[in-house]
Amino acid sequence: MTRAHSFGLVWPYAVAAAVGYLLGSLAVPALAALATGSVNSPLVRVGFALREDPQAAPGAWPALAADVQAVRSSLAAPEREAFDLVVAVRGLDSGGTSDFQRAERVCQTLTWQRCDRATLMLLKEQSRP
Amino acid sequence: MNRARAKRALGPALVLAVASLIGYARAAMEGGRFAQAIAELSNAEKKALESAPALTVANAIWALGSEDAVKKMLRSELDRLPESEGAARARAFVRFGIIDSNPDGQAAVFFQACVADRNLCDRARLIAAAERETKARLVEPGQHLPLYLSSGHLQVP
Repeated sequence: MTRAHSFGLVWPYAVAAAVGYLLGSLAVPALAALATGSVNSPLVRVGFALREDPQAAPGAWPALAADVQAVRSSLAAPEREAFDLVVAVRGLDSGGTSDFQRAERVCQTLTWQRCDRATLMLLKEQSRP
Repeated sequence: MNRARAKRALGPALVLAVASLIGYARAAMEGGRFAQAIAELSNAEKKALESAPALTVANAIWALGSEDAVKKMLRSELDRLPESEGAARARAFVRFGIIDSNPDGQAAVFFQACVADRNLCDRARLIAAAERETKARLVEPGQHLPLYLSSGHLQVP
């Protein structure tokens, strides 16, 4: 059996495995959207994360980060920067862990009076809807 | 000939099915948490979540923003919120009254707060609402009750 012949036998299985895995992964958000209707949008998921402070597996956060970007792109300055600040203190795009260094930078960009860590920790609680 | 082809396709088809199940299970376990939690909420709660990001931004600007940033935010909040969201509109008016340094302007916006939410036509409730907002504000101006509320001259219908 030549190498080319073995490759010819193996590639349909490899392609089937890759396509199957991809389809299965895509089915979860698609089915969730179907089950919950049009109200399950990035806006709703980000709203939920802002309201609930959710605990989630590491794999759930990248999807939320994509939702955060979608919501961010719909905002105009300075609301967009204020949203960045909230996202940083709430850790919505960093696995749920607050990124206070980034929050301080964003706050300073906004040229607001108080951008120290203690104030930003207060903001973390007060920004809850 | 067709039978041989079908036999050859059976293996990859089985692999496709098993891989789909594995992909689905992994995605459901890791990525479906938020969607699953949201699916358990009522439609009204889901609808309310749509305004949560804007509300969060408004709260952040109210907590730390400059006077100009706050005024701009409040104007866009009042544009965004429909008349049916009386309590939220009243809150925006109360914040406007706190940040406004002009007593006549304060009178006008506190009156608007009363129109938006009849509960705030009661002086004690209006003051309590304003006090909540001044506590939520972490920078000046806006950390103290405005003269219009603290002086005792309040006339709302």
